[in-house]
Amino acid sequence: MNKIYTSLILVFALIVMWTVYLTNVKNDDSLTVRYYTIGELLTKEASITKVKVGGLIKPDSISINETDQLEVSFYVYQGSDSLKVYYYGIRPDLFKDDAEVVVAGAFDDNLIIATELQTKCASRYEGDLKNIEKI
Amino acid sequence: MISQIGSLALSISGGLILSNFFFLFYYSIRKDKIFLNVSQRGLIAVCFCVILATLCLLNELLISNFNLQYVSQYTSYETPLFFKVTALWAGQAGSLLFWTFIMSIYSLIYINVTLRKMPTLKYSSYIMLSFIFGFFLLLSNFIANPFQPVSSDIIVQNGNGLNPLLQNVTMAIHPPTLYLGFIGTTILFVMALSGLISKSLNFEWIQSIRRWSLIVWTFLSGGIILGGYWAYNELGWGGYWAWDPVENSSLMPWLILTAFIHSSMIQEKRGMLKSWNILLASSTFLLVILGTFITRSGIVSSVHSFTAENLGPLFLAFLSSLILFTGYWFVKRFDTLESDNKIDSFTSREGGFLYNNLILLLMCFIVLWGTLFPILSEAWNGEKIYVGATYFNQLNVPIGLVLLFLMGIGPLLSWKTTSRSTLLSNFKIPMLISFFSGVIYSIFFGPFQLYPLVTCMGIAFTTTSIINEFRKSYKKSKSDNKSIPSAIVSMLFNNRHKNGGYIVHIGITLLFVGFIGRAFEVEKEFNLSPGEEIYFANYIFKLNSIKSEARDNHYAFISDIDVIDQRNNLLTSLYPEKRIYFYWNPDPEKRQPHSELDIYSTMRKDIYSIFSAYDAEKNQGYFKIMINPLVNWVWIGGIVMVVGSLFAFWPSKRRNYGII
Repeated sequence: MNKIYTSLILVFALIVMWTVYLTNVKNDDSLTVRYYTIGELLTKEASITKVKVGGLIKPDSISINETDQLEVSFYVYQGSDSLKVYYYGIRPDLFKDDAEVVVAGAFDDNLIIATELQTKCASRYEGDLKNIEKI
Repeated sequence: MISQIGSLALSISGGLILSNFFFLFYYSIRKDKIFLNVSQRGLIAVCFCVILATLCLLNELLISNFNLQYVSQYTSYETPLFFKVTALWAGQAGSLLFWTFIMSIYSLIYINVTLRKMPTLKYSSYIMLSFIFGFFLLLSNFIANPFQPVSSDIIVQNGNGLNPLLQNVTMAIHPPTLYLGFIGTTILFVMALSGLISKSLNFEWIQSIRRWSLIVWTFLSGGIILGGYWAYNELGWGGYWAWDPVENSSLMPWLILTAFIHSSMIQEKRGMLKSWNILLASSTFLLVILGTFITRSGIVSSVHSFTAENLGPLFLAFLSSLILFTGYWFVKRFDTLESDNKIDSFTSREGGFLYNNLILLLMCFIVLWGTLFPILSEAWNGEKIYVGATYFNQLNVPIGLVLLFLMGIGPLLSWKTTSRSTLLSNFKIPMLISFFSGVIYSIFFGPFQLYPLVTCMGIAFTTTSIINEFRKSYKKSKSDNKSIPSAIVSMLFNNRHKNGGYIVHIGITLLFVGFIGRAFEVEKEFNLSPGEEIYFANYIFKLNSIKSEARDNHYAFISDIDVIDQRNNLLTSLYPEKRIYFYWNPDPEKRQPHSELDIYSTMRKDIYSIFSAYDAEKNQGYFKIMINPLVNWVWIGGIVMVVGSLFAFWPSKRRNYGII
């Protein structure tokens, strides 16, 4: 094996190992965030600094602060489990009842204080026939 | 009626593919040319059937035939004509048919132009094309059929309409451009493997596949940049790249294809890296299919994913069979891939290309690892872990900066080996200019942020080195030509491959100028009533009024904000809007709000405004303002990249005329 190829492969292997180390071993909060199901979180007593949760917005649970419209709380549900989420900031346009959302933030005392709020289908619009007017 | 024809055309093409396998099988036993010719015609017929089916679907969309489920899902009577056309690729079933449609066009060119010149590739190409067509036609015929009628117990009065986010011109050109790039990799895959299988990796093959790869690269680059442009101007989060799984899946094939374009040059010039090039060319397609699997399976949560039918398992099976096929032939033909030459030195042009490959591959690995990490970690210990933008930036930014410098180093190296004295004399000027621009940058902006400083130095280094290359070839052509304009023209057109490449590199340095701006972005969210103002980032933002207006397909609240600079001059007025689509619908759930941005854009910075909510009782608007420096350089860089690659691709009169 040519020494140029050998050194290239070596560099590649080193950076690959560094990547794996950063994501798997170092457990750096700024790099990774664990995805929980709502069921999992409901059983947790302790607070967690960073969580990511997906689910649907519970109908009629959105409550927007009357004096500051940027402040909102709502319930996100998966099946029969649901969890309260607090968020301050601009909400995506598709934010409404039964919209699919992904929130990320801190979990404490059965409440998620979200710093990120994303709705699904920002570019895709998979409408289905339930939205179509029937006669 | 038309829809039945389309549906029939789809079924027929499926049947033709099946019969094609029989013909190819007979050919493999009898070696009778007639079977090969029949299968060639079979494939051409499939292509025309798919094109016919696509035109039929387009017709149904245009005449609003709501008896078809697809048409009623993605269009309505109110949808403007132009967007009825774009609805062709707005949903799962349509976009799959559109995919096959583009594949048909590429295949027709490949069969009639490329294979005519290289008949040895025919047999294996037909097998692979039939297999790939077979897969997509299976999907279109049985799983996501765009001609499926709505269920018989309902009559649809009006369709759903197209998502307002998709109703803009960029969104109309971005998907087809990206698709042209994605699907073009099919040809690279077929060509690489059929060259390998039929042992015809000759000079003609490498020239032809290089030209194909340039077409694909142009579309892919254009598609990615347009996607960023659309996100920036439409989605309203103020950025153009978010390391979303779907974005990543378009970046990965781009990185590998870029690596291939460089390393195939070593094969063309020195007959080296044959096996490596086969792997790169086939991986671009495999990565495209992997990306499609990610997008259409919903396995990684992404804002882009399709959710209707889960095509994940099918794409996974397809991907695995392609990987097995590639692996099998790669191992079986490995002995034919021996290099004609050896690499001599670290400081050679070949070496430069190898470093380029190393870096692009590393970036691809990092992106792939980050994208698949939720799946990998879940398989590993049951915890689904996502990595964020910080991960991608932390790893990719330093590596990308090495790539930036490498673009300047490459042209300074000679083939085989570069002597120490040449090296010194070549590096002197770019190094000096890079150093001084670093000093000047530090004086103006402070040395506090490392990455912008290094980027600035890298841009100066690379630009100087490229300009120096142009200067050298200009000198050469000046000695042959008398007038200055004719010298410039003949310099540019004499070696289009090389010059096109340099133009692309200049485009990429311009992209980096735009990336510097990311380090200096600021934003603020606030609420104002008409007449009130707020001070932010050295500007005064004064809200004059909020008006409302009913328009053709939406209702709009229009704000009017004056931006006043430090010297108390009116810089500009911004009119971000809050729109409500489907506002006539009595059910508030079915109305759809949409924030229409307004951006004041200059070469130095963009002032980006979002009207996010309106409180009618208090007559108060909620706004978000972002100051994004240097964003326009990204779009300019993108345009220069595409222009450069078209320049390299355009056939020159003297040699390799029109080879694809």
